[in-house]
Amino acid sequence: MNKDIQVSISQKDDVSILQIKGDVTAVTGETIEAAYQKVSAAGAKKILLYFDKDGYINSGGIAILIGIASESRKNGQIIRVTGLSGHFQKIFNMVGLTKYTEIFQTEELALKDF
Amino acid sequence: MVMADNKVELHIPSIMGFEKVAMECSASVAKKMGFTEDRIEDLKTAVAEACLNAIEHGNKMDTKTKVGITLTVEETKLQVAVKDQGKGIDQVLIPSIEKKVAGKDKPRGWGIFLIKSLVNEVSFEPSPEGGNVTKMIIYLEK
Repeated sequence: MNKDIQVSISQKDDVSILQIKGDVTAVTGETIEAAYQKVSAAGAKKILLYFDKDGYINSGGIAILIGIASESRKNGQIIRVTGLSGHFQKIFNMVGLTKYTEIFQTEELALKDF
Repeated sequence: MVMADNKVELHIPSIMGFEKVAMECSASVAKKMGFTEDRIEDLKTAVAEACLNAIEHGNKMDTKTKVGITLTVEETKLQVAVKDQGKGIDQVLIPSIEKKVAGKDKPRGWGIFLIKSLVNEVSFEPSPEGGNVTKMIIYLEK
């Protein structure tokens, strides 16, 4: 287990929430990928990625998230995102991830009308 | 701001994760110079990506090598030079997320794009001592 990241899985109605604490990199991203695969295997169609405002995301982590976005399309899943700092919301926009995942300012907003 | 010696230099091991040391050092210097929080975050990400390229592609994660970071403070700008001991990196085309999500390209390859997007100027040059240098400049806006 990578000590730089913790991913916990919870459920709210039909939404699977992956709470991500720590840095999102090529190495720690494997933990996120594993959590995503776990909820997918359980049949999740709505997934919320809840990031850590103090965590850092590098290009290796971005690649992991793109991989998840790609798989989610094949699986007919909707991915929403919350918890990102303003800087990383900008980064998501820059690389185009916002074409595949919608960013919400709070968990409450992300879960509304999901 | 006038400094007799306007450079800060550090070396980090070619181990993923140590880019965070360079990030925090760059942030600290930028804060001292009066950059905004937003601009400091831009710089941190750019420095992280340059260091990761140096560690992974320049130095091939050889733990016998180091990545050198030199910060040069001037009145209106901060330059951060990241040097590896490798043979340089290939320039890449602008990455396409559409291709990557469609599986037509590997998901990685965002580092140089992010660096170019986040700083005012960037260059990639061979170093006179060998290796490759990524030089990034951010301007202090009044």
